[in-house]
Amino acid sequence: MKGFGYLAKEGLKNVWNNRIMSIASVCVLVSCLVLTGAATLFSINVAQVVESVGDSNETTVYLKSDVSRLEAVYIGKDIEKLDNVVSTTFLSKEDALEQYKDELGDELFAQIEDRNTLPDAFVVVMEDLSMYDKTVAEIKNIDGVDSINDHRELAKKLTEISNLINIICVGVVTALMIISIFIIANTIRATMYSRRFEISIMKSVGATDSFVRMPFLIEGVVIGIVSAVVSTGAISLLYESVMSAITGMIPFSYIPLTHVILYVAAAFALAGIVVGFFGSFISIRKYLKKEGNEILGW
Amino acid sequence: MIDFDNISKTYPNGTHALYDVNIHIDKGEFVFIVGSSGAGKSTFLKLIMHEETPTSGEITINGKKISKLKRREIPYLRRHMGIVFQDFRLIDKMNVFDNVAFAMRAVGESAATIKKRVPYVLDLVGLKNKMKDKPSELSGGEQQRVSLARALVNNPEIIVADEPTGNVDPEMSHEIIELLNEINARGTTVLVVTHEHELVREFHQRVITIDHGRVIGDTKDKGVLSDHDVDDDYNDVPHYPDNAVVLPD
Repeated sequence: MKGFGYLAKEGLKNVWNNRIMSIASVCVLVSCLVLTGAATLFSINVAQVVESVGDSNETTVYLKSDVSRLEAVYIGKDIEKLDNVVSTTFLSKEDALEQYKDELGDELFAQIEDRNTLPDAFVVVMEDLSMYDKTVAEIKNIDGVDSINDHRELAKKLTEISNLINIICVGVVTALMIISIFIIANTIRATMYSRRFEISIMKSVGATDSFVRMPFLIEGVVIGIVSAVVSTGAISLLYESVMSAITGMIPFSYIPLTHVILYVAAAFALAGIVVGFFGSFISIRKYLKKEGNEILGW
Repeated sequence: MIDFDNISKTYPNGTHALYDVNIHIDKGEFVFIVGSSGAGKSTFLKLIMHEETPTSGEITINGKKISKLKRREIPYLRRHMGIVFQDFRLIDKMNVFDNVAFAMRAVGESAATIKKRVPYVLDLVGLKNKMKDKPSELSGGEQQRVSLARALVNNPEIIVADEPTGNVDPEMSHEIIELLNEINARGTTVLVVTHEHELVREFHQRVITIDHGRVIGDTKDKGVLSDHDVDDDYNDVPHYPDNAVVLPD
């Protein structure tokens, strides 16, 4: 387009001249993008945890409380005899409690050490996960086995939680997107009002609709890009700190930021540009249909 | 150049602005359009600029039937015209140069062409030495000359001036019309809408009189123009109360 440099300059000037509204638009769009990004990253991490849990070939088999250590040895041998079982490792209730020592603290640990109600268990490694259900049923049939920690159940529950969070996020993000478009549309409308003389003159001397429209579209897109940059910075800062806090409570290996940040930035830029463009477009479409004094509101 | 054939215009609210108007304006003519407030002069201009479309009839500009124009073709029609507004419509934050250059930028002219053309046009209207001034630093007459320069800068074939002397003192009014006369002498068709009777009489140009939406007089039909022709047209009008106010004897 002829004179694009001039139009781009005008678009940037619009952003500056209307800075209060521009900042408001950026703030709303940033909150929208950060929320969307956080929800997406959460969901990706949950998916990875679910995958690793679901794919784990280790299963814990808990024994009944009245089983003696000798009986436990036989139970372990019975489990090992099963076709799909590679190995069994005995985990006594004392060892199990020891694993919680750090979290409980020395004092509390000393108090409950004598009243340990944890069961003895075997950590069973299976060879073929496609035979998981059959092997679990066979283990359950062995006398003295109380219950089995089914990792698939955990994976299913995690997926359900992740899906619920995703649904809530989609609702919130949709609402915020609509608010963003509305605020950007109003920002652009304010700019157009302040430049109504210029618009009316441009139209009277024969400027095409696309020429009149361009600075306002650039204004919207600039707001979108600025929001995307701020959002990428914000999510980078938040991600590492939130993830270290979570892994402090529930240990799991999360996806490093460096693996996803480029995708996040690209998605933010795309979303920002689309929302900014669309917000401007709906505003100016109405204005462009006006002629002469109508533009000036006379 | 401009043909109005049986043009009628009724607005959606039921106001009849023009009735069966027939006007033919040749290339290079200078025409005053006169009439009282509400006579239909503004509608006449809006139709020429394609801000409005006629309810019936056909308008032809430069051989092109404009009622058949597509929306995207309208800007290109307007590039044949330069508009001068009564209230100047200058942008306060821009200096004189930029106000004039703005019209060229709006049609995508290059910076080099703008740099060359704007001083030339400002020289034509006698404001070359005021290029850096803001509109607020100029007198009403000077502001209107800037507006005229802006209308001229894209080299239009037609200048449409809507009450160009409405906001300037009588001496300046004379200068503005004189300037339009000079522009006309260079071959540009000039249409001036005004209700300043004295001024119209002074310049001995073609006068089309509109009243209550009808053309009630056109000095071209009379062949010879005299100081009294315009008055005669008014006297022929059936009795309308606002005639006496706007165009006193």
